[in-house]
Amino acid sequence: MDQIVEKPDTLIGAAFPKPDAPDKVVGKTTYINDMVLPRMLVAKIKRTDRVHAKILSVDISEAEKVPGIVAIATAENSPKGLIGVLKDNPPLKGDKVRCIRDEIAGVAGETEEAVNRALELIKVEYEDLPTVFDPEEALKEGAPLIHEDKPGNIGLTFDFEHGDVKKAEAESDVVLEEKYELHYVTHTCMGPGCVIADFDTHGKLTIYTQTQYPYNYKMDLAPALDIPAGDIRVIQPPTGGAFGSKLDVYPFEPIAVYLAKIARRPVKLFFSREEEFIASPTRQPARVYIKQGAKKDGTITFRDVQVYLNNGGYTSWGATIPAVMMRTMTGHFRIPNVEFHSVAPYTNNPFAGSFRGYGNVQATYVTATLMDKMAEELGMDPIEFRLKNAQEPGERTPQNSLLKNAALADCIKISAEKTDFLKKHAEYTEARKTPGRIRQGIGIATSVHNAGGAKIHKSDGCGTILTMDDYGRATVITGASEIGQGIDAVITQLVSEELGIPPSDVLIANDDSAIGPWDVGVHASRTTFIAGNSARNAAVKAKQQILAAAARQSNVSADKLELRGGHVVQKDNGVSVTKLDRLIRAMHFAGEDAELVMVSEYYEPPSELEDKNHVGDISAAYAHGAYITELEVDTLTGGVKLHKITAVQDVGKVINKLGIEGQMEGGIAQGIGYGLSEELIIEEGIVKNPNFRDYKVVTAPEMPEIECHFIEDDEETGPFGAKGISELPCIIPGASIANAVYNAIGVRFDNPPITPEKIVRALHGGKAEAAE
Amino acid sequence: MSAKIDIEFTVNGAVKQVTVPATASALDMLRDQLDLKGAKEACGEGECGACTVIVDGVSVCSCLSYAVDFDGRKIETIEGVQSDEGLDPIQQAFVDYGAVQCGYCTPGMVMQVKHTLDKNPNPTKEEIQRGLEGNVCRCTGYSKIIDAVTEVASS
Amino acid sequence: MNTVENYIAPGSIEEAAAALAAGPVTIVAGGTDLMLQTGSGAIAYAKTLMNVRRIAEMQGVSIDGDTIRIGALTTITELKSDAIIAEHLPVVAEMADKFASDQIRNASTIGGNICNASPAGDGIVPLMMYGADVVLASAKGNRNVALSEFFTGPGKTVKADNELLVAIEIAKPAAGFKGGFGKFGPRPALEIAMASVALGGVVKDGVISNVSVAFGAVGPTPMMGAKTTALLEGKTLNEETISAAGEAASEEVTPIDDVRASAWYRRHLIRVMTEEILNDVG
Repeated sequence: MDQIVEKPDTLIGAAFPKPDAPDKVVGKTTYINDMVLPRMLVAKIKRTDRVHAKILSVDISEAEKVPGIVAIATAENSPKGLIGVLKDNPPLKGDKVRCIRDEIAGVAGETEEAVNRALELIKVEYEDLPTVFDPEEALKEGAPLIHEDKPGNIGLTFDFEHGDVKKAEAESDVVLEEKYELHYVTHTCMGPGCVIADFDTHGKLTIYTQTQYPYNYKMDLAPALDIPAGDIRVIQPPTGGAFGSKLDVYPFEPIAVYLAKIARRPVKLFFSREEEFIASPTRQPARVYIKQGAKKDGTITFRDVQVYLNNGGYTSWGATIPAVMMRTMTGHFRIPNVEFHSVAPYTNNPFAGSFRGYGNVQATYVTATLMDKMAEELGMDPIEFRLKNAQEPGERTPQNSLLKNAALADCIKISAEKTDFLKKHAEYTEARKTPGRIRQGIGIATSVHNAGGAKIHKSDGCGTILTMDDYGRATVITGASEIGQGIDAVITQLVSEELGIPPSDVLIANDDSAIGPWDVGVHASRTTFIAGNSARNAAVKAKQQILAAAARQSNVSADKLELRGGHVVQKDNGVSVTKLDRLIRAMHFAGEDAELVMVSEYYEPPSELEDKNHVGDISAAYAHGAYITELEVDTLTGGVKLHKITAVQDVGKVINKLGIEGQMEGGIAQGIGYGLSEELIIEEGIVKNPNFRDYKVVTAPEMPEIECHFIEDDEETGPFGAKGISELPCIIPGASIANAVYNAIGVRFDNPPITPEKIVRALHGGKAEAAE
Repeated sequence: MSAKIDIEFTVNGAVKQVTVPATASALDMLRDQLDLKGAKEACGEGECGACTVIVDGVSVCSCLSYAVDFDGRKIETIEGVQSDEGLDPIQQAFVDYGAVQCGYCTPGMVMQVKHTLDKNPNPTKEEIQRGLEGNVCRCTGYSKIIDAVTEVASS
Repeated sequence: MNTVENYIAPGSIEEAAAALAAGPVTIVAGGTDLMLQTGSGAIAYAKTLMNVRRIAEMQGVSIDGDTIRIGALTTITELKSDAIIAEHLPVVAEMADKFASDQIRNASTIGGNICNASPAGDGIVPLMMYGADVVLASAKGNRNVALSEFFTGPGKTVKADNELLVAIEIAKPAAGFKGGFGKFGPRPALEIAMASVALGGVVKDGVISNVSVAFGAVGPTPMMGAKTTALLEGKTLNEETISAAGEAASEEVTPIDDVRASAWYRRHLIRVMTEEILNDVG
C-alpha cells in the first residue's frame, strides 16, 4: 500500500513562535549576565570624574591591599593598542581623559564588595584642561585640542555633490532654509553591558560577549590585546538586547581581557544601569542646516545639507552615520541637484555608536518635517506634494541606489486612504482657529532604507553550514547572530520549508565563532535577507543531494521528487518513495559510496561598495515606508497622547508574521521615544539623567494602537521574496509625530524630543491659557 | 562585612534556610545564594520590573527588597510558575503571541502579569497596560505582551 | 557601602522605641527608598538596622470617632483600595493611583514615604492638604506633629533619631468636603512629580470654604498653599476666582530648575492643575 504524504501548510508567512521563547518565559535561559565560570572573578571599572584633563598620577597602592583583590589593570601595565573606528581610543587612559566615561583602571576580585572598595581607594591626580562641547565651537581656531594628532579637532568628513545646486536654487520658486538640532538618545538594552574573558593555557582567549558582529569583532579586538585575531574565540550567550549598541569593541571588553591575563582566571566585567547610561554608546546627535527648493508646481529642485556631528571624545560608529543619512537626504524623493557635507569634530562629550536606523532616524526627522513645511509653503497638501516627487520603480538616486520596485507612492496612498488623512488633516488645521484645550493632529512621514543588506565592508556575506543527522534532523550553523530579534525562527522556517521537515527537527547553532562561518553582523536590516538567503541556499543544496540519492535508489528522476513531511515523495501524487531518515542512513552507511548530507553556502548579495564619491548601489534591495500618526495635544499641560500609528511598509514578503509585527511594534516604540520622550541630557559633558526615572523610555500605558499594513511585492533576490524590515519602524515615527503635533497646534519642533514643556513654552511663553 | 542573619522562608513551595547579610537585596540572595537566576537585575532601582517576584501574594521589585525581610514569608519566582503539566497559560500565551524577543524583561513581566490577573481576572486593555507600567521592555513595544495577556484573561 | 553590625525586627512599638533609645538605628519599612539611597551612597547605615515591618500596631487604617488613623506601614496599594480612605479621604486614594508603579505601591509604606521627606513625595501632599498629624513614638511616649510642620528640608524632618513615625492621624474632613490631586507627567504613573497639587474645600451655594491647598516638587519641602487658601476662602467659585487662585498658586510656590522641568514650567503646571481641580470641585 503506497503511503500518500499530504502537503503541509506553508510555514512562510506563518505566525511561528521563536524557538528560544519557551526557555525565556520559564526563566531558564542563561544570559551572559547570569553566567558563572569556575574560579571566575568579578570586575569593575574606575572611571574618571573629569571631562578633559591631563592625568598626573594613578595610585593603586591602597586598592591593591584590599583583601580579595586579585588584579588591577591600568594604562601602565596593559597593552597599548587602540580601538574604535579611527583607532583613537586607548581602552585604559594613561595620558589624559577626554570625556566623562573614560576608563582609568580595571579591578578584578573575589567579590563585588571588595572590588567596589578597591575602586574607592584608587587615587587619580589630574590637571584640568580647557573644554569644548559644541561641534561648531570645536572647529574654531584656538578651540581646545582633544587629540593632539587631530589638528582642528576634525574627525570624519563626508561630502557628496550631484548636479548644480546653485543654479537650481536660482531657478527655484520657493526655498526653505532650516536648522535642526537632533539630540542624544541611548539604547537602554535591558541586559546591562557584560563580558567574560578567559585564557586557556596556550594563551588563547575565549571571550563571552554580547557582541552582534562576532567575526569582525575579533579583528577589532586583537590590536588592543597584543594577540593574533586568530587566537580569539567569541562565544555569544543569550543577550538582553543590542539594537546596534554592540557593533564595535568598547573599552570594557579589552579591560576584562587585561584582567584575565593578569589574574590567569576567568574575569566577568559588568555594568550597572548607571554605567549603561553613561558609558555605552549613544545615538549620534546632529546639527543639520538644510536648504530645499521647489518649483511652484511642487517639483523639488535641490537640497543643500550641512551636518555637524558632535563626535565626542573618540570615534566609534556614530561619526560614520552620514553614510546612511546621505542616502535619505540625497535619494528620498527625486532630488535632481544635491550637496551633502558633514564633519564630526571631536569634543569633550561622550561618544556615539550605531543605533537602529543608523543616521536615518535623524535624516528622516529632518526630511519628513521639511517636506511638510514645503508643502504648506507651496499651498499643497502633504500627500499631493509627496506623490509629485515620489520615485517610480526602476529609478536611480543620485548615489545610484536602484529603486527596482519602489513602493513609495503606494505606501503614501495606502496610508492616506486607511487613515482618511486628507479629511482629518484639513479638519484639524481648521480647528486651530477656534479656542479649545485639546487639539487633534495627524501627520505623515516616509523614508527609504536598505533592505537587501548594505555593502559597507568588502563582503556583505553570511555563511551557513547545514548537516543532517541519521535521524533526519537538520543542524544549521549560521554566521548570523541571534540578539532577540528572531533570526533563529526565520532560518528554522526557511530550512523547514525547503527540507520538508517539521520546524522542531531544525536546530540552529550560532553562538561560537570557532564553529560558525563568517558573517558581517546583525545590522543594517540585513539578517533575514542575507542570512536567510544563505540558509535557504544551503537547504536547497542539501535537498539536491538528498533527491539525487533518492533518485538513484528509487529509479524516479530527481526532478520528479520532492521533500515533504519527513519523506521523499513523488511530486505529482505525493506517494512516499522513502522516509527521509531511512534514506539518510542508507546514504551514510553505503560502504565505499558513503556520503553525509553536509553542505555549505556563502551568500554574497548582488550589491556594490560605494566609490570614493559615495556613488554605488550598496544594497540588493531598498524598501519604503509611510507612517501616519494620530494624536492629541493638551495645550495647557503640553501632554501628548498618541491614538494610533498606521504603518505601511514594503516588506517584499512576510516570512514570520509574529516576528515582523514584533519588529514593527518594537521599532515604533523606540521611534516614539525619539520623537516625544527620550533624551540623554548632557551638560558640559556630564550625563544628567543616567536612570530610567529621568530617561523616559516608552512604557506600556503610553503605547497607541498600531496597525501594520505590509506591501508584499516579492523581492526577486530575497529569500521567498523577503526584504529586510526592522529599522524603518524606528526611523519614521518621530517625524510623523512631529508633523502631527504641528497639525494639532501649528508649532514646529526642530529639536526633538517634543516634550510637554517645549510645547507649553511654544504656546504660552509665560502665560497659562488655552490656545487661542 | 555586614552582620549575617539566618532566615527561613518558602520559595515556590519549598522551605529554604539561608544566611544573608543584613543589607543584602532579596534579588542578590535569590540569584547568588539560591541560584534562582530567572529574576534579572536590569536597573537595581525599582524602575524596570525585571526583578519582579511575588511576596505573600503581592508583586514587588526584589532589587529593592531586603533579603532579611523575606524571613517567614511565602515567595513565588518565575522558576515556580511552570507546573508539571507544562507552561502556565501566561507563559504559553507569551510564546504563542510573540511577546518575547530578547527575553530579559520576560520573567519579571510574567510575574507581574500573574499578579495583575490574580487581582483582576477580567482586566480591560487599559488595566492591563496600567498593570505593566512598572515593567520596561525595550524590544516588543508591549503590543504583543498586551495581546498575550488579553488572550489569557479572556480564556 | 558601610557595614551593619546588628539587625533587629521588633514586634512592637515599645521594643522598637527601646532600640531607638539605645543608640543610632537605621529604620527600614518597605525598603524602596532606603535600598536605593544606601546603594547610591546618599545615606549611610547606622550600626543597627531595624526592620519595623512586623509591628502589627503600625498597620492598617482605622477610624475612631472623628479621627482617622493610618498605620505608618500601610502600603500605597492598601491606600488605593481601602474603604475608609475611599469614603473619607478620596484624594489620598487618587494620589495612590498615580504613585510610581504597581510593584512599588505594593512595597512602599506611607510612613516611609513621609520619612523619606522628598520634596516631590506624592504621598505627603494630599495628607498635608487634609491637615494630617504624624504620630512620633519614643521611649518617652508619643507626640503629634502637624505634617505641615514636619519637614525642614530635602530629606530632613523634625523627627528625632530616637523617634519612630508610627501613624498618621487626620480629623474627618467637614461634611461636603471635596478635593482633588494633580500630578503631571507624560506617563499615567511611574513618574517623579514635576509638580503636584492637592486641593479641597466645601462648596455650598457656589461659595467655597474650609479650603486647604498643598503643593509638591515646587520647593525644598512639600508646602501648604497659604496664600491660595486665603484667596479662595469664602469666595464664590467662578471663573474669575479660579483664575486668580491659579495665579496665586503659581506665585507662592518656590520651584527650581532641574533635569525634570524648569521652575517656569513647574509654576505653569501648578496653575493649570490648581484651576483644573477647582473646576472639578465647583
